[in-house]
Amino acid sequence: MRTGVYLCQTGTGDLDAVDLHSVVSYAGNLPNVEMVKDLGTMPALNIEALVAEIRANDLQRVVIAGDSPGFFKPAFTTAMRNAGGDPSEVRLASFRQHGASFGIGTVRAKSVLACATFGVPYGLAAVPDTTPTHPGTVVIGAGIAGIQAALEIADAGKQVFLVERTGTIGGHMAMFDKTFPTLDCAACILTPKMVAVGQHEMIDLMTYAEVEEVSGSPGDYTVKVRKKARRVDVHACVACNVCTEVCPQRAPSEFDSGIVERKSIYIPFPQAVPNAYLVDGQSCTYVQSDGAKCGVCAKKCPKGCIDLDQVDEIVELEVGNIVLALGYDVYDARKIERYGYGVLPNVLTALEFERLTNASGPTSGKIVTKTKRFNKRTKTDEWVFDAEDGAAPASVAIIHCVGSRDANHNAYCSRVCCMYSLKFAHLVKEKLPDADCYEFYIDMRAFGKGYEEFADRIKAEGTFVVRGRTAKVTEQDGRMVIKGEDIVSDRMVDFPVDMVILAVGLVPALGAAELALRLGIQTDTDGWFSELDYNSDPTDTERGGIAVAGVCQGPKDIPDTVAQAAAVAAGALKSMAIGRGLDSRASVSLSDIEARAARLTRV
Amino acid sequence: MAIRANPKLITELEIYGAQDVSKCYHCGNCSATCPFSKEPYILPRRSMRSLQMGLEAKLESDLEPWLCYYCGECSTECPRDAEPGETMMSLRRWLTARYDFTGIARLFYLSAKAEMLAVIIVALIAGAGFLLYGFSQGSITQYGGPNAFLPASSVHIFDWTLAAVLLALLGTNCARMWWFTVGRDTKVHVPLSAYVRKIYLLPMHFFTQMRYAKCEQKRPWVLHLVLMLSYVTMLVLIMFFLESMWSGPAINWSVHAFGLAATAGLLVTTIVFLRKRLKKSEAQYQQSHETDWMFLVLLIVVAATGLLQFTLHRLGLDTAANVNYVIHMMAVVPMLLLEVPFSKWSHMAYRPLAMYFADLKAEEMVSKEREAVGAPQAA
Repeated sequence: MRTGVYLCQTGTGDLDAVDLHSVVSYAGNLPNVEMVKDLGTMPALNIEALVAEIRANDLQRVVIAGDSPGFFKPAFTTAMRNAGGDPSEVRLASFRQHGASFGIGTVRAKSVLACATFGVPYGLAAVPDTTPTHPGTVVIGAGIAGIQAALEIADAGKQVFLVERTGTIGGHMAMFDKTFPTLDCAACILTPKMVAVGQHEMIDLMTYAEVEEVSGSPGDYTVKVRKKARRVDVHACVACNVCTEVCPQRAPSEFDSGIVERKSIYIPFPQAVPNAYLVDGQSCTYVQSDGAKCGVCAKKCPKGCIDLDQVDEIVELEVGNIVLALGYDVYDARKIERYGYGVLPNVLTALEFERLTNASGPTSGKIVTKTKRFNKRTKTDEWVFDAEDGAAPASVAIIHCVGSRDANHNAYCSRVCCMYSLKFAHLVKEKLPDADCYEFYIDMRAFGKGYEEFADRIKAEGTFVVRGRTAKVTEQDGRMVIKGEDIVSDRMVDFPVDMVILAVGLVPALGAAELALRLGIQTDTDGWFSELDYNSDPTDTERGGIAVAGVCQGPKDIPDTVAQAAAVAAGALKSMAIGRGLDSRASVSLSDIEARAARLTRV
Repeated sequence: MAIRANPKLITELEIYGAQDVSKCYHCGNCSATCPFSKEPYILPRRSMRSLQMGLEAKLESDLEPWLCYYCGECSTECPRDAEPGETMMSLRRWLTARYDFTGIARLFYLSAKAEMLAVIIVALIAGAGFLLYGFSQGSITQYGGPNAFLPASSVHIFDWTLAAVLLALLGTNCARMWWFTVGRDTKVHVPLSAYVRKIYLLPMHFFTQMRYAKCEQKRPWVLHLVLMLSYVTMLVLIMFFLESMWSGPAINWSVHAFGLAATAGLLVTTIVFLRKRLKKSEAQYQQSHETDWMFLVLLIVVAATGLLQFTLHRLGLDTAANVNYVIHMMAVVPMLLLEVPFSKWSHMAYRPLAMYFADLKAEEMVSKEREAVGAPQAA
């Protein structure tokens, strides 16, 4: 097919990324290309002249190549029609749409152009040929992102290995009381999904396990997983709680964000999946003394399912795709000394308040301030939450942007804090209608569907929403004094409250950077996993067959996380459907794309 | 009253040293951190806002920049690296230029070359003048006595003349400052009785700098106080006791003891400040304007040559003492003539005045607004 190539730029994109001279000379050497013309930036198109040119060269196909060639399509379509040609043969080679930027700009532009001259969509020709895809998928991390991705893939009938570091799936969402902006009960949404994962015939659940090593190529990865010694037989355990009752050793409860203690042999929470106990080797007397002391739980277990001498086990998984759903940690509020977290008793982090207000939490959802208690074991006074003796706070202050949007801590916005802080205000007002609730914010980021309405609702409920971040929290007569500036009314803020909640930001999960190194993928300057292309490939990484879902790619809320997890599942299933591991497009050479496009034209 | 904005103000302030004002997103962290931020004077965020909006007239009438002692706490804690402390410092420079009706201060702040050139020219004129006068009077080998190169009485007359010029210049600037900040303020009227009743604030702030002591770190306050007291001691000695200082070669302990102590104070503090500015370890010393360097360099030269002068005279090296004295005056004259009314030295008048005015205004404002103060409004 006789083809003419016109280069037209709008100049609105990054033209430096593409060497246009090299593209012009490349285009001239493509088969079928009869003429190449560089019309420059924002050309004034003369349709008469174009018609004459199309006729003179007897063109059957016209390719408009440029940063945003669609801009010029109407003129060329008219010219093609007037010249008596087929207007559907006006093809676009859009550099920007296909990610011709940074180092790969010129090569990508050439590939896109080549495909257009063959009349083949770039996406079709640029699919790399690699090894046949192994139908298994390993999902790392079993929070809402990992659970969603695993269920989507498993429901399609494909094998999933779900690897989770802690003793149960559920992640952070299992700790939450309510979700914003709908105020749905988080557990009511999550637990059915958790149960589905636990019972799914296509999901091999590996809790208390970590990924050690990854080798192979897209479509054929070998993942080495260390199954840490749980010391309890998951299948035999009936969760009768006898072991916990007899265990003498305690440690802070991870699930309750450390506000209460749990035993060394424990179940993270009653709805945990798998619904089985585990031994925390770090605090267990038997493990720490190398079997010299204690061991009482193993003796008392009616099912005999506790093996305190169990050791770690390494398993190797053969998979085609890897999904990263590592989630996040919260910013360590101790690093911001002026807020007094860890020093002042009633300064809480968001996750701590989340557990405090949760009906399944240590106070059964009663919001109380901490009570001083003498600990007989350590012989010191300590501050604890006590549902009976604790007093309800008369005033609560919520401080936004703790560790976020701050050049001294994390420069980025953690995206969820404004909304969960508003949710907290609602929960306080709902349970303690007489309590004063203050929100101290810098900018209110209520960007999602229904979020602005939610913010309005909270304000209507009587929460004082004060613009100006608190700078300092100090103690005076047992109350927390907050100091800041109310910017709108131009006044200093300096008054005592009973409880301060720090809206801590999100940071990459512990071990995320190390895992990225092991996988050979990149992280951005903040430590989040880098996606292949921000706009067009938001779930793929630069290593084919490895995709990211949820907060580990960047802070996001639950709806966005679930959507991304489903998108990742679609990518994994696609590679299985076409039977080839999907490497990233950047890995395919120009000549391969050319050859493939030529082959596809003939088909 | 309509508010007129000058959108270029923020760019102009860059030359005065405020580079990062536009970064501020108004979280109020700085105002809450500042030990001086007390209603009705909330600083430094309000000034940041006025600057971002280019509210020139408002800034000109603000006293807030003078209430800041630049402990640097706000800049350290700033989540945006917007340098509120440096902004306040730059605003003080800008205000100094604004108060000065001659436009010389503005020229010095905007162009380091102009300041340098002016200092050199004044130094040369002063040097030439003293040499000419000296040679027409007596012999360069004579320090004291009837044939003295520069007799103390003549120098004394020169000093008082210079002081009169300085007072006139600085006095006009102070009057302009009063007009900008208090006089033309139509909202707050300060009664004359209040000025009289609170006049004690002026010497109190001048001599104790007690507000500086409110900063978390006390060392800068002590250093600043020592520098100021040494300077004032020296000034008093020269203005009133020049003849007894001049006598010699025997040491006249009743004045020289003060003189030596003051010189030691000046030398030690200027060296410490120079070191801090060079090392840039603390927020308030990280960005030095050319005028800051000029201030310290002139001061250190004056103190060092003064001490040398004293030593040479005691040793009986009259010729050397005479030559050194001319050099000493070549530093003293530009320092006083240019720095006191037009540059950094002027803050010794503006700062206590500002605190005095601020107190007067606050008393009026607070009594007016007392009933309006309350808990933050529900939005």
